[in-house]
Amino acid sequence: MSRIAPTSPIVLLIGLIVLVALAMAGLAGTEFALSRYLANAIGQLAAFAVLAISLDLIWGYLGILSLGHGLFFALGGYVMAMYLLKHSFVVTGTVPDFLQFMGWKDFPFYWAGFDFFPYALAVAVVVTLLVSGIFGYVSFRSRVGGVYFAIITQALVYVAMLLMFRNDTGFGGNNGMTGFSVLFGWPMGTSGMITALAVASLAVLALVLVLCRWLVGSRFGALMLATRDDETRLRTLGYETLRLKLIVWCLSALIAMVAGMLYVPQVGIINPRVLSPELSLEIAVWVAIGGRGHLVGAVVGALLVNAVKFWLSSAAPDIWPFILSGLIVLVVLVFPNGLMDLAKFKLVRPMGPKRMAEEMGEARP
Amino acid sequence: MTHKVSSLLILGLLAGALLAPASPARADALDRAGLVQELCGDAGAMGRAGAVLVATAASGSAEDRAFAAPLARAVIDRKLGCDDAGAVLDESGLDAVTRSPRAAAGTPRSPLLSLKNRPVFELADAAFALRGAPDVAKRAAALKTLERRPAQIPEGLLDAAAAVESDAGLKEQIDTLAQTAALNASDPAARIRAIGRVAENPSRRALTRIAALTADPAYAANPEFRAAVDDATRRIERGIALGDTLATLYNGLSFASILFMAAIGLAIIFGLMGVINLAQGELIMIGAYVTWLVQQGLRVVAPSLLDWYLVLAIPVAFFVTAAIGIALEALLLRHLYKRPLMSLLATWAVSLFLVNIVRVVFGTQNMQFETPFYVSGGVPVIGDFIFTWNRMFAIAFAVVTLALTWAVVRKTPLGLNIRAVTQNRDMAACIGIPTRRVDMMAFGLGSGLAGLAGLALSPIYSVNPQMGQNFIIDSFMVVVLGGVGTIAGTVVAALGIGQINVLIEPLWGAVAAKVIVLLMIIAFLQWRPEGLFAVKGRRK
Repeated sequence: MSRIAPTSPIVLLIGLIVLVALAMAGLAGTEFALSRYLANAIGQLAAFAVLAISLDLIWGYLGILSLGHGLFFALGGYVMAMYLLKHSFVVTGTVPDFLQFMGWKDFPFYWAGFDFFPYALAVAVVVTLLVSGIFGYVSFRSRVGGVYFAIITQALVYVAMLLMFRNDTGFGGNNGMTGFSVLFGWPMGTSGMITALAVASLAVLALVLVLCRWLVGSRFGALMLATRDDETRLRTLGYETLRLKLIVWCLSALIAMVAGMLYVPQVGIINPRVLSPELSLEIAVWVAIGGRGHLVGAVVGALLVNAVKFWLSSAAPDIWPFILSGLIVLVVLVFPNGLMDLAKFKLVRPMGPKRMAEEMGEARP
Repeated sequence: MTHKVSSLLILGLLAGALLAPASPARADALDRAGLVQELCGDAGAMGRAGAVLVATAASGSAEDRAFAAPLARAVIDRKLGCDDAGAVLDESGLDAVTRSPRAAAGTPRSPLLSLKNRPVFELADAAFALRGAPDVAKRAAALKTLERRPAQIPEGLLDAAAAVESDAGLKEQIDTLAQTAALNASDPAARIRAIGRVAENPSRRALTRIAALTADPAYAANPEFRAAVDDATRRIERGIALGDTLATLYNGLSFASILFMAAIGLAIIFGLMGVINLAQGELIMIGAYVTWLVQQGLRVVAPSLLDWYLVLAIPVAFFVTAAIGIALEALLLRHLYKRPLMSLLATWAVSLFLVNIVRVVFGTQNMQFETPFYVSGGVPVIGDFIFTWNRMFAIAFAVVTLALTWAVVRKTPLGLNIRAVTQNRDMAACIGIPTRRVDMMAFGLGSGLAGLAGLALSPIYSVNPQMGQNFIIDSFMVVVLGGVGTIAGTVVAALGIGQINVLIEPLWGAVAAKVIVLLMIIAFLQWRPEGLFAVKGRRK
């Protein structure tokens, strides 16, 4: 494992995140506490940042672009929503609206056990691993990569969206699931709950950052970079790239799933729109704007783009798409490595030989 | 407008018939004086006269019908004045037989219809109106009257009426009534003939009508009747099955045409530069909007050419979208050739921009298109299969586009260059092919084809800023399945995906069709990772 310098951006970023989390936790309940809106926004941004890291891991470090990461995000989100609804049902005794719309008196049988959080979590993990594992195996085995992989994943998330739009699946249909009232026994929507969720999201973000930094800094991470840069050579050298790609792909899917589980209680709704190909494309845009292949870049990109989106989609909803598209074109053309290019741009540049000679000449007595 | 013309025509014919009483009548011409005499007779005589009137309405010559029609009406309205010299039509003051003006002698007697005779005269009146009334509404009203007594309608009347009926909807109603009347006729032979006739035009509706006859007492009693019904059922079922098969093939073919149109431009661009153009769907959308603009322009400049806007928009849609494509290539994509995944994002930004600019300029509602005569309606073929012209337009358009694209790629210097660059960019550059210019032209070609796709589907689908997204994923699938940039691959893949979609949709629904198509493509890529028609050689 490579040593991380104390001044490296990743340490600064993790420090910052932990600091914000501690401050929010400490100020909660006092008069200096953040407004509910702001705290909620910070929590959602943190969930998006986790999602961006998951994509950066596979795209930035393995060179495999997935345009379907919304699938795993939605998987986590849907399982979380099921847990929340089942839990609320146990506490309040009201059947969710979407079941009443369908004229169903009770939950379908596959909802059994979802009021027990460890079970819900296990289901989310198993399903995510199954979906990502099978899909990743068949794709990587036949060496579908690059643009082909991007297109197939986009089709995958599109198909999932069409499935979820159906009302007879028992997952809320086009209206989605909403009306969560309790989480782990505490009422939702209170300031304390919002702050707690935001702090938890920040904590998970810091944890995921540390974990991924450790992973990409390890020998395994070096193999990831080697796979990205020249997979054929690595295979020729006797490395099993299929297994490596599969592991990273499944890990990335799991992180995206966790992001979905954090996101849903904070927005209070999940509907098939999280499965739209546009959202999955946007994740790639966050990473590209922030700078792929740098975990910091993914986080900064996700935070920046979504913060601007939060602000503009209420201030000027009509021009937000234009700004986003302009931003993408600018980044793609001018900063090929995203904002990380800006970070490397130094105000004080080392002197060239000519300038050095002049300075030395002048300095010479 | 055609209604008016044909109504005028019928009027003209009628007028001709009225003005030419001297024209040679048929051998068994109506005994006009005898008829009028019987109309003025007792109830029995009037009954006989009514039967004559009904028979005349069904099989009389045009002159006889024109002669007899006012009589039936006049008796019902009690406007026939009988005197010693015969009878006078009160309303017009004409003699009932000669139709020359004369006053009634003495106090004329208006014959009163008995309860038994009244329905006969009403039937005759409606029959005359159905065959002779110049007004569609009057004919429709007459048909309504006839529908109440299907058993009494004389044979041949409805067929004769249907033969000259100009209104398509009314003609169909007459035909239906004719078949119903014949199926319920009292003569078993006529019924069997009618069953055979119903079976000639198989449809689900015909099947329910024939199936209803199995409950008829004759079905159990008369083996001949039973055989006719069973035979007709079999024939209709065969016809329906054939029609459904043809309809599935036809719908699949038209969907495949749209897919092909949407994907061929994408395939050329992808094959040449390895760039997936996520803005392709939006170029399709812009093609449709350009078509709409051409239509609006014609409405102002040359309304007489409005029907031909779809044809006139072809060059406009092609060149506008080609220009957008060339601008896109020159400004954006030429900097990104080494980074295909980034060009994916860049083209997505372009698509986002285009969708929103169209949304701001035109709004989000669906555009209203005129439906020219050559894309409206269709021809019923067999069973419930209707050969619709708008789908035929899409198919024909795709075939022509395919031929032209093939010609450009195979027969022109540009095509030669495109093929060379597709196969080996570096080598092509070495031998002096201006690869950058080829890229630009090919991108223009691919974008122009997307514009044409938008034009072709504007008569079928709704046109709005989001429409491009409905096609983009399907056309990606076509390109992935077809393989890198081969026209043949695109055609085969579009046909395959189109047909599979249409085959599965009625069984399990549209969503299942999409799921199955995706799974099949993923499975197929296990076997041939580079698609159906991969360019042979080293993997890039």
